[in-house]
Amino acid sequence: MRTTRVVVGTIGVVVGAFGVWLLLSRQDVDQLVDAAVWLAAGVILHDGVLAIATLLIGALVLPLLPRAARAPAVVGFVVLGSVTLLAVPVLGRFGARPDNVTLLDRDYVVGWVALAAVIVVTVIVASVLRSRAGGAHGPRPGGRRRPHRA
Amino acid sequence: MRALPIRLPAETDFRSRLRSAAVTARVGTWLGICFTICFATGLISHYAQNVSQPIPFPTNPSWGYRVTQGLHVVTGTAAVPLLLVKLWTVYPRLFIRPPKNARRLLLEVLERGSIAVLVAGAIFQLASGLANSAQWYPWTFSFRATHYAIAWITIGALVVHIAVKLPIIRGALTSDVEDTAYDRPTATEDGPISRRGLLRTTWLAGGVAVLVTAGSTVPMLRRVSVFGVRSGDGPAGIPINKSAAAARVAPAATSSAYRLTVAYGEQEVSMTRGELLAMDQSSESLPIACVEGWSASGTWTGVRVRALLDLVDAPPGSEVRVVSLQESGPYRQTVLQGNFADDDRTLLALSLNSEPLALDHGYPARLIAPNRPGVLQTKWVSRLEVAA
Repeated sequence: MRTTRVVVGTIGVVVGAFGVWLLLSRQDVDQLVDAAVWLAAGVILHDGVLAIATLLIGALVLPLLPRAARAPAVVGFVVLGSVTLLAVPVLGRFGARPDNVTLLDRDYVVGWVALAAVIVVTVIVASVLRSRAGGAHGPRPGGRRRPHRA
Repeated sequence: MRALPIRLPAETDFRSRLRSAAVTARVGTWLGICFTICFATGLISHYAQNVSQPIPFPTNPSWGYRVTQGLHVVTGTAAVPLLLVKLWTVYPRLFIRPPKNARRLLLEVLERGSIAVLVAGAIFQLASGLANSAQWYPWTFSFRATHYAIAWITIGALVVHIAVKLPIIRGALTSDVEDTAYDRPTATEDGPISRRGLLRTTWLAGGVAVLVTAGSTVPMLRRVSVFGVRSGDGPAGIPINKSAAAARVAPAATSSAYRLTVAYGEQEVSMTRGELLAMDQSSESLPIACVEGWSASGTWTGVRVRALLDLVDAPPGSEVRVVSLQESGPYRQTVLQGNFADDDRTLLALSLNSEPLALDHGYPARLIAPNRPGVLQTKWVSRLEVAA
């Protein structure tokens, strides 16, 4: 196992080093600086903004919901949140061009509202069904009323 | 009085037992599969766009590039929820205090460094790829060169990461998802859903991500793909990427002075569009498959490129320089490799789906070849040239 790991790790280092060479050898310094800014910005925005926003929603919003609604709400949040994030380029229509009507040719905001409505209705229906089932599928055996923590 | 509770959290502050290596390893497996497909199909796309191809890029199957590039964008899109959930499960590790022992500190720095590269690369690839698929370029670097280089860096960092974590990955994947063997000691609190529930939620999010975007390349999903970059509409039922207005070709393309010139060394033949229409016409059903991931199939009618090359006695296997009426731009001139030029399905198309080619589709004449990136299917063709 140890040998395998060393061999695999070495292959990874070589492959990555090839990528670094590709990156550094084909563009001028201004472009590389811009690429570095984008690389760093992704990590900072995730670790410093998105992750913390998710923590806050979990800590502040989740305890306000009825217990039967918490699990469906988490599922709905993960689906709608991640899909909304990946739809940012189309929702903002940043690449739209007046000379090309075939590009970004949908009403993405209406699409988002429709998707969000489907998810919210599903979450509500699931919550009502769970609450009628009398907590048989409750989130916590024993039903301690502790606020959810990160 | 208590001090304000604002301080950097410690790893032990995170109590949810959902943030477990048992979840990380399972989501990570599918994320690794998505990244591997993205990398392989990305290499194919990069090679297909290379001018020099020591091993000729195949002309078969004609829909090959449509599938590989569609998969590239679909798996990249599905990877977004997977990456977000995976990062969520390991977020507490960001706050582990560094060890004091110098040797262990060095190992820790190396491991964290490789993870920083992996996370930065993964986020960069997904974000830049999604922006590119919506034709949004809010940066100054070259998308193709940078996305390609960082793909190698990210895959390298992923392989290193797998090597480092192999014992945990193996252990976690061979035991039950609720097993606590690899959990942090403080991660004991039940979450609002179970670990299995979180995994199912993640697969669901990945599936929804695909459904709401893939309509740009899978026609049967067009109605549900509310975030599809293109609905599939356009002149003659096919969307366009670069318009005649953007390429500034309209005056030259509609001028009665337009001639297609075919040249082989000193030999040259020039033809009007009418003369091209008078030649033997062939029809082929071929997809236009863009590097941005959208694609659509159409029936193209026009003259076989090989028949045009025969007019100037260009030998079989000749590489053809295809020149557009565009005055500038990286794709004003493209190279059509010999195996593509000789393929019977490679046409200088004059009409699409029984309508004369629209100006935005490349009127008066455009290249269409099987299994080729759309960016190389040159529009507004003015010259086909074989070096003597």
